[in-house]
Amino acid sequence: MGPINLALREMRRRAGRFVILVGAVTVLVFFLLFQQALLGGLVSEFVGALRNNDADGFVYGELARDNLQASVVAPDTVAAVGAVDGVRQAGPVGVGTFTASVSAPAPDDRRDVTLFGYELGGPGGPDNVTDGRLPQAPGEALASDAGAGFAVGDTVELADGGTISIVGVGDELSFSVTPTLFVSFDTYAQARTAQNPDASMVPPSAVAVWVDQGADPAAVMAAIDAAVPGVDALTRTQAADEAPGVASVQQSFSVILLLGWLTVGTVIGFFFLILTTQKLPQLTLLRAMGVHTAELAGAVATQIVIVVAAGFALGALGTTQALSGGSSGLNASLSGGDLGSAAAILGVLAAIALAVSAWRIRGLDPVDAVDQGADL
Amino acid sequence: MSVATRELRRRPGRFAFVGIALALLSTLLLLLGGLLDGLVLGSTGAFRAQDAPVFVYSADAQDSFLRSRITPAERDQIAAAPGVTGTAGLGLTLDAGRLEGTTGTDNLLDLAVMGYEQGTNVLPAPPGPGEAYADAALQDDGVTEGSTILVGLGEIPVRVVGFVDDTSYLLQPALWVDLDTWRQVQTASRPDAAVADGVVQVVLVDGTGTPESLVTAVDDATGGATSSLTRDEAIFSLPGTAEQNATFTALIGTTIFVVGLITSLFFILLTVERRSLYAAMKALGVGTGALVRWSMLQALLVAGTAFVLGGLVTLGLAQALAGQIPLLLEPTRAVVTFVLLLATAAIGSLIPLRRIIRIDPASAIS
Repeated sequence: MGPINLALREMRRRAGRFVILVGAVTVLVFFLLFQQALLGGLVSEFVGALRNNDADGFVYGELARDNLQASVVAPDTVAAVGAVDGVRQAGPVGVGTFTASVSAPAPDDRRDVTLFGYELGGPGGPDNVTDGRLPQAPGEALASDAGAGFAVGDTVELADGGTISIVGVGDELSFSVTPTLFVSFDTYAQARTAQNPDASMVPPSAVAVWVDQGADPAAVMAAIDAAVPGVDALTRTQAADEAPGVASVQQSFSVILLLGWLTVGTVIGFFFLILTTQKLPQLTLLRAMGVHTAELAGAVATQIVIVVAAGFALGALGTTQALSGGSSGLNASLSGGDLGSAAAILGVLAAIALAVSAWRIRGLDPVDAVDQGADL
Repeated sequence: MSVATRELRRRPGRFAFVGIALALLSTLLLLLGGLLDGLVLGSTGAFRAQDAPVFVYSADAQDSFLRSRITPAERDQIAAAPGVTGTAGLGLTLDAGRLEGTTGTDNLLDLAVMGYEQGTNVLPAPPGPGEAYADAALQDDGVTEGSTILVGLGEIPVRVVGFVDDTSYLLQPALWVDLDTWRQVQTASRPDAAVADGVVQVVLVDGTGTPESLVTAVDDATGGATSSLTRDEAIFSLPGTAEQNATFTALIGTTIFVVGLITSLFFILLTVERRSLYAAMKALGVGTGALVRWSMLQALLVAGTAFVLGGLVTLGLAQALAGQIPLLLEPTRAVVTFVLLLATAAIGSLIPLRRIIRIDPASAIS
């Protein structure tokens, strides 16, 4: 009987314990993939509007501490930034959260929305439109598609006054975990004034920058910091990665994922080691009868592959089902890359588990089978 | 009992698998719980510091503190509502500042500047203009009693006259000032969100009757211009609090389930391995109950040891990641985790019960 048949027959005869192991791997894979998706979703919801922005960099007020919502710059900062060598174009950006509802075609409940105002045709706009087009006039918006239910053709009414027409939708453009509407800076400023009648002025939150063709954004941001007082210039990547919450969320989830994968490795490795240990007398006898170590290791390998593959498939299926059900409340999804890297990690852990069991099998002395027989 | 503990002492390697797995899972549980506590408690301190049973927001603010505005006229209506015995205003600016005499962005302090007009069990009565009670977390940044902090774009000087504990808002330590000082800061730092004299963001309401009846009375009295919440509702309405709670609770629940699964898997294997031993013991008159207690005791001892190891690893991680993640290790969380771990391990060890019952003592000699 070949190693594969031997492995399969044992799994059929002792189905219960293998089912439980598959169950454990399934739950752990579900747990880890779900967290991976949550992490991606959270980061995307926090700073998607920055990550998928066409600006090469953003210039914040120095008190902002990398937080666009806390940033305020003086209106003349836009011109000062635009005059720095290496800057092709600079434009104001305004960010604020407002209460809004869709008034047409079908009215719905009020919700929070973030208005991301930028100079139309200038830096600061979204760069991945999936439906419709970019706004071209005040009162138009491109909406983030974060499950908020905005669609091209909707009319959005702001609670404090003003209406906005949705002319486009884009993926992963949310900001601060709220649906986001990219509008002209003037539209943003009008909404801000309506929201705060006591406002003395509406300064930009930040300055969005396009750098010259071929220029290094990091070098241009450093030049802006040196030339313009009271600002903190960040490349687009820095603005997204250093935003409050993002780094700590990524770090927290990294630790959790690392512990989770260690647990998966421990469970798979030790379970098969225990199984191998329990079968040592039988395996010794098989060695004495001429079955080669590689064949016995092959049987264990077959079982590991089946258990791991089944656990991974079921875990991935469960995760995609849970995510499609929207149970996380976030725009979380699993990419092919996420699944591929999880499968690769699991493959490495399975290989380690096999190596440990194979090492135990390799140490068997066929002569011990005779001793066991003598004991009997 | 002596058999169970003796086996653990003589063959600890046999239990290494489940011990290491449970230690890792204990670490995971403590980290998840610590993150939840760090995020939720670090975000809600400023609200938990209030004694008032009802928080009143403007209706179009969607329960957002930062967007809410209550005018003096609305406040008068709130005060006149049936059952209301007192009102107090609250205002907030999320800002930055620096200790007087320091320069550079590295010396900036994250601040939640809270304007208030009523002392509580946590907060003394409001300080004088230009003075503040600082959250104790600011002491880590070098703030001491008597320090002057230059707040916001207007670099408004605020002198610290004392400290209060656990009053952060969205992980930013609070600086508690009187309402006029807060308005100065808000208008200078956020000219697009300036507030006029007499305007506050939230009104805290004290009164007779239940919080729910006060909520109804206030919102009726203002003709729907306000949206009132009970204190607990207000705490959970803070951005992200409910979502964080739900997400982390689900992750903790899943981890507990995995603990049960792994423990049961291990004890099923152990029962298979011990079948002949159990048969012999049954033949010698040992009851099924004693054998089950043997397994359960081992599960409890392994889980307890794993928890200690996991706790030590968590403390090490907390030291290594201090300041990088919002981890808060609370003794009550540790106790709850310990109890949950032991209970789940005990239940997991009972899964092979049916197999133990079915072992025939006669098989010891067959």
